[in-house]
Amino acid sequence: MTGAGFETLKALIVEDNAHMRSLLRALLNSIGIKEVVEAGNGQSGLVLLRERKSDLVLTDLAMKPMDGLEFTRRVRNDEQSPNPFVPIIMITGHTEKYRVEAARDAGVTEFLAKPITAHNLFARIGEIVERPRAFVRCDNYFGPDRRRHQLDDYAGPWRRTDDFQQEVDVR
Amino acid sequence: MKTASKKPSQFIAPDAYPQMLSKPNAARATRTLRSPQTAEKAQVAMDAQVPALRAAILGYVEELERSQDDMTLVFERAHEIRGFAETAGLVTTGRIADILCRYMDDMERIKKPLDTTLVALNISAIGRAARTEDIDAAMGDVVAAELAMLVARRLSDAG
Repeated sequence: MTGAGFETLKALIVEDNAHMRSLLRALLNSIGIKEVVEAGNGQSGLVLLRERKSDLVLTDLAMKPMDGLEFTRRVRNDEQSPNPFVPIIMITGHTEKYRVEAARDAGVTEFLAKPITAHNLFARIGEIVERPRAFVRCDNYFGPDRRRHQLDDYAGPWRRTDDFQQEVDVR
Repeated sequence: MKTASKKPSQFIAPDAYPQMLSKPNAARATRTLRSPQTAEKAQVAMDAQVPALRAAILGYVEELERSQDDMTLVFERAHEIRGFAETAGLVTTGRIADILCRYMDDMERIKKPLDTTLVALNISAIGRAARTEDIDAAMGDVVAAELAMLVARRLSDAG
């Protein structure tokens, strides 16, 4: 049973540290993903994504010359992006709130704080597999829906067409 | 009352764009992720990485100790150590590196100068923990706790 469902997938790791790339590759291999390509920064990650059309991307945040935020924005928004909907897991030790928010606003699908554990990585992959997120396109954002929860006491503005649809449905 | 902006956002449901896996394959993949065999395989894969990670961490520690005058480099190396140490079984080393990174990041955010003595103290503690954690973890934990308190006090004074 091990590996079933994953063995046809291609994954891209965008990470400037060779040890972390090796660790992530080993973990992906252990769930059956055999085809894993690696890039040392966002720029080469974009090239590889165009060439290899990966189904899943794991990216670091801080890299030069292109970091994981810019990489994610380009994947989501570039006209030449091979798959703007590709799931992107950002893996980083930078866990400060403003950085997590920046990652979310760039369009990452999941955020994973280092230190890495197999359990945590697999939990994020499981989220993507079991509960794929809707996407939202608006004036200044394209990416996974940033509203993770439905709040009964939500006090912010209602801007989406489906917000109005929900209102009609309730009546 | 709900009011709409001029351009309402477009909502694209998961069924309306290509998914990573078909539904039957997704169900199989979920079982794979939760299976004990997968957990065992992953643990073996992680364990195999530990010797290389530990060697890398000791390399970063040496660079950290050599670069005490270059705070950018200090942060970069401490950040690498924080990212790897726990995975390599060096929990206290990772904890102290995390204390140093958070201190440097917070001081940068509030635009206050770093206390270089405090940074040096953290670097020294990281070096000691990385080299002796296997034989003296308890002492490392005490040092980490003391440093965390000291850093909290410095941040409180600065902020």
